[in-house]
Amino acid sequence: MRRAVADWLDARTGFRAARKHLLDEPLPAGTGWWFVTGSVVLFLIGVQFVTGVVLTMYYVPAPDHAYDSVRFIMDQLPFGSVLRGLHVFGASFIVIAALVHMVRVVALGSYRKPREMTWITGVVLLLLILAFALSGYLLPWDQKAYWATTVTINVARSGPMGDYVAGLLRGGSGLGPLTLLRWYSAHVFLLPACLIGFVVAHIYLMRRHGISGPIDPVAGPERPFYPYHALKDTLAVALVFAALVALAVTVRAPLDAVADPTDATYVPRPEWYFLSLFQLLKYFPGPLEPVATQGVPGLVVAFLFLLPFLGKTGSRRLRDRPVVAGMFLIIGLGVTGLTVMGLRDTPGHSASEGWSPLAVAGSEFVKDARCTSCHRDGGAASEIVGLAMLKDPDWLLSHVRDPQIIAPGLREPPSGAMSIGQAQSVLSYTRRVRAGKPLPPPMDADTRTASRIIGRYCASCHMIDGEGSAGAPDLTNAGRTRDAKWLHEWISAPDEIDAGANMPGFGAFLSEEQMSALVKYLAARK
Amino acid sequence: MSESESGTPSGGASSRRRFFARVIAAVQAAIGGTLGVVVGGAVLSPGLARRESSWLPAGRLTDLPINQPTPVMLRLERQDGYQRVIDRRAVFLVRTGEGVTALDSTCTHLGCRVSWNSESQQLRCPCHGGTYDRTGAVISGPPPEPLARFATRVDEDGRVMVEL
Repeated sequence: MRRAVADWLDARTGFRAARKHLLDEPLPAGTGWWFVTGSVVLFLIGVQFVTGVVLTMYYVPAPDHAYDSVRFIMDQLPFGSVLRGLHVFGASFIVIAALVHMVRVVALGSYRKPREMTWITGVVLLLLILAFALSGYLLPWDQKAYWATTVTINVARSGPMGDYVAGLLRGGSGLGPLTLLRWYSAHVFLLPACLIGFVVAHIYLMRRHGISGPIDPVAGPERPFYPYHALKDTLAVALVFAALVALAVTVRAPLDAVADPTDATYVPRPEWYFLSLFQLLKYFPGPLEPVATQGVPGLVVAFLFLLPFLGKTGSRRLRDRPVVAGMFLIIGLGVTGLTVMGLRDTPGHSASEGWSPLAVAGSEFVKDARCTSCHRDGGAASEIVGLAMLKDPDWLLSHVRDPQIIAPGLREPPSGAMSIGQAQSVLSYTRRVRAGKPLPPPMDADTRTASRIIGRYCASCHMIDGEGSAGAPDLTNAGRTRDAKWLHEWISAPDEIDAGANMPGFGAFLSEEQMSALVKYLAARK
Repeated sequence: MSESESGTPSGGASSRRRFFARVIAAVQAAIGGTLGVVVGGAVLSPGLARRESSWLPAGRLTDLPINQPTPVMLRLERQDGYQRVIDRRAVFLVRTGEGVTALDSTCTHLGCRVSWNSESQQLRCPCHGGTYDRTGAVISGPPPEPLARFATRVDEDGRVMVEL
């Protein structure tokens, strides 16, 4: 029965001949493990397709929802964290696998006549993979997404016709919903279409010319691809896949706090595969910047495209191709060196990952009855723990200062408006809630007290850790220039030190206990 | 990839080929299975999620006319993915002598919304003309079964509560 169906189908489609053509490609004797690299890249691309399609079932490409939808995938969707891990880490795996494949092709001289076009389609594929990585970045709409994309667009601006290119990348007048949608569209429609086209072309060309095989022909009969080389391919793929799964299961794919265009403390860092470009930028400041953003990368890409046309005589041995080998070595060392330097320059953690004093203060303020009278289980509004901040900061600021503005008629007006500093504290706290950190880390009572006072009073005029108001000196490193004694005297009664001081004295508002906690906290910030 | 049928050289080589083919198939099945668990789990599991029922207030018993299906709109808050959404469900409350019944307004044929026609004293479905009486029993048309009923109770304040 099965045979009859297969015969019927074969008579109409010729699938047996196609299968034979696909599987029985004769490979030269001595085709070894070096020739599995392309299959590994192809397999990893397949994993990205499968996981990517499932991710789009849950991802929403809009700034108001993107972050929460990704957080849902990570925290609530069964297998969601592994799924996204496979996709995120898979991107890094592809870049590595593609580079290994390229090094193999260069080392064995496989790009040479008649395989120039195979090489060129391969370079296009490498660029497409990098474009995938770059566009994939923005989609979670977290801090890294927002700031890395801001940098990318500004880099584009430094080139010829920069403003037009930047406008094309941005979509709208600023980085926002239109940007996210067009990068999403590129990531899931445009780039995959291009990728499929070039993968097909690359494989077609590989089959047309046959694989290059070992440099020195090995005596012996040709053997079919299946099952002899297919076994090597399959085992190599299985090894890489096992490593990818292990990583996706054990390590949570990174997701920063939600994008915040006003955050001055975030240090944007690109993914490791763009770190060399990022580092290069540091050596070409000011008017020389286009050298790093356009010049050097442009020359490297041009070299890659021209590589098959350099040093066409001599054998496939690396030592007979000094120009290509030398150039490739220089580029390789350059990229590796810059990447290592970039990694060394990476700060331990960005300030926004930790708990700033305002965030700690906010976590205390939201326990206030004025919040919990509505924000409670079964109340008029959701509990603040787990409350996603979908509104913009300005809305939240006016809402926490006076809820009546936003929701009239629900309740009595709050007694006594919040200070700006308190409102910003609550904002800072809800941002951490949204990033999945509902509770501050354990800390001593003095730090808590100091944080509360900073949120209640200081932050209405001062900045600290990039939050607060910019009307008075920044308190982030207050302890660097002032000691505890001076701070105590100043905060108690500034006009006794400087008759023209703008700051009011807080001696009357704070208990001695509160004052000493605050002074100790500020003096320790060096 | 499936097994190749080509080439049957000497016995040793052919059994080697068969062994290799089996290893390839097994490894590929393991890879596909792993990917399948992750992908299948993520695709299927939310679709299998069930909502817990909750009691919702649906107005005062004394406000309801006797034996007249009265439509009420119930707001049902539920978690859908990463956001809370509010489903609006139309339910017919029918006050009978001893109590109150709640009929789902969803036609049992293909899920259209039925409405009360006070002239004919029937619940009618606009899609394929199914009609029901005031107890939800089918009078005519394609509906295969009577309208679904929800559990009801009247609390101490005289409010009708419906379990959705």
